[in-house]
Amino acid sequence: MSKFYQNMKKLFNFLKNKFLPFHVIIFFMFIYIPLLVVIFLSFNSNVINMMIWDGFTFDWYKSIFGFNTQLDEDAVYLESTDQLLNALKNSIIISTTTTIISTFIGTCLALAMVRYKFRFKAFYNALVYLPMIIPDIVLGISLLIYFVTVGVKLSIYSIIIGHCTFLCSYVFIVVSSRLAGMNDELEKASNDLGGNEIYTFRKITFPLIFPGIMGGALLSFIISMDDLVITYFIAGVDSTTLPVFIYGIMRRGIKPEINAIASLMIIFSLIVAALGIYYRSKKL
Amino acid sequence: MNKTKNLLFLLTPFTLYITVFFLGPILILLTYSFLEPGLYGGVVWNFYHHNYGRILGWADGIIEEFNPVYFKIFLNSFKLALITVIITLVICYPTALWISRLKPKLKVFFLFLVTLPFFSSLVVRLFAWMILLKPSGLINEFLLNIRLIDEPLQMLFTETAVLIGLVYILVPFMFLPLYASIEKIDNSLIQASNDLGGNRLITFFKITLPLSFPGILGGSILVFIPSLGNFIVPDLLGGAKVMMIGNIIEQSFLTSRNWPFGACLAIILMIVVVTLLYFYVKILSKYEKII
Repeated sequence: MSKFYQNMKKLFNFLKNKFLPFHVIIFFMFIYIPLLVVIFLSFNSNVINMMIWDGFTFDWYKSIFGFNTQLDEDAVYLESTDQLLNALKNSIIISTTTTIISTFIGTCLALAMVRYKFRFKAFYNALVYLPMIIPDIVLGISLLIYFVTVGVKLSIYSIIIGHCTFLCSYVFIVVSSRLAGMNDELEKASNDLGGNEIYTFRKITFPLIFPGIMGGALLSFIISMDDLVITYFIAGVDSTTLPVFIYGIMRRGIKPEINAIASLMIIFSLIVAALGIYYRSKKL
Repeated sequence: MNKTKNLLFLLTPFTLYITVFFLGPILILLTYSFLEPGLYGGVVWNFYHHNYGRILGWADGIIEEFNPVYFKIFLNSFKLALITVIITLVICYPTALWISRLKPKLKVFFLFLVTLPFFSSLVVRLFAWMILLKPSGLINEFLLNIRLIDEPLQMLFTETAVLIGLVYILVPFMFLPLYASIEKIDNSLIQASNDLGGNRLITFFKITLPLSFPGILGGSILVFIPSLGNFIVPDLLGGAKVMMIGNIIEQSFLTSRNWPFGACLAIILMIVVVTLLYFYVKILSKYEKII
């Protein structure tokens, strides 16, 4: 009995002193293990049950890119890789275009809000957060109704328009925090020394906020690449994006090929994320 | 004069864009919620308040019937969103506390580690949980192997699965505001409390917790709103068993094609969200006055 009591006391002391580190380990396991499992299983050659390890293979990767493999016809889920590649192509076109448009609009707004005083500032401040904070589904269906009512055909153009409505706000937040963090003395000095406003912007302001602009652009690229809900509602028949395409396959069942696609997407997003964090961490 | 011109140039793109492609759509959504659904998926341009009646209870039973099921689904979504907030708070707070006490270089590294998984695609993260939770999935295989259970548990397509999914995708929205406010707490306050004889628990409840209130509030609202309107997670991890308000909206748009009714549900959802935001701003400004 006393031994049990001692053990309990030990456990209690352990929890008291080591609770935080222990919790942190569990936390990181919770956020990392699911993704690691996906990457691990994408190399599993077991066709029947993807949970049972049956040897290492690159077959799933080969099959999503359309190379011939020894896999059974049944195991290969995608009828043709064309659909996948087409979705990927759409995604890249959409994200690149939205990034350019929303970076321009968001940066302009950030310059106006941080560097100028005007009457409707509070109103703009509320307005800029609204597209970000209302549920995706509300924005998605209101854009769907709007496009149908106005008579815009659902295509990659409608998706681009839809993405920009909320991505401008993300760019705005990143760029304006960069702008607010730097004082305007250099700009004033340039103006005093006779540089006109365009010259000052090109030589002083722009180089200084460039990391912020890059950070905002990368963020909007990632979000646009990954957006599912809004795209789901406003994508036309032949304008599916990668997330919508994969969502469609997942709804029909779990297939090992998705592991390979998912792993590639994880690797890709990690590279973009590392780039983004690098740009954001650049000191003034 | 030149300054005004510059300002106009900088403001115009956003103003035009947001008016045409955001305020316009929201207005049309509002209009649609008061239109009569047509027979084959279209709309009739008549004023028609029975869409709201179906949900809130004044439908007369002749044209449209009041069905309490929508109200129940709203309540259920509230419940799930609230539980998601509580779970994310409980798992993020200790981690944020631990990271905030590290050396600056390590802090940056661990923050990077926390945010990294969430840059991967939403569908990928949910797919990972599908293969973990399914009857022949990793968790079941593991539990069967260590003989803890005799037959696979049904974990996929349950409310628990939906909760796990919501928590998993929304962790950073809780973590980052929490961390930001915990990090800001002046260390001398904690030392003062310790010097004056407060033990660790008292210091936590009297100093750290109250001072991190803005982070708790901000994180909660950032988790609550996306989980309330979510339909992807219940669709993939809840199957047909768990319905949230987002699923009903999606179905009335893409399956039953009753657009006015879906618009009406979306408007109610939006009103709820904006009300919550209003109270959030109110409470926060009150708190900042006290501090």
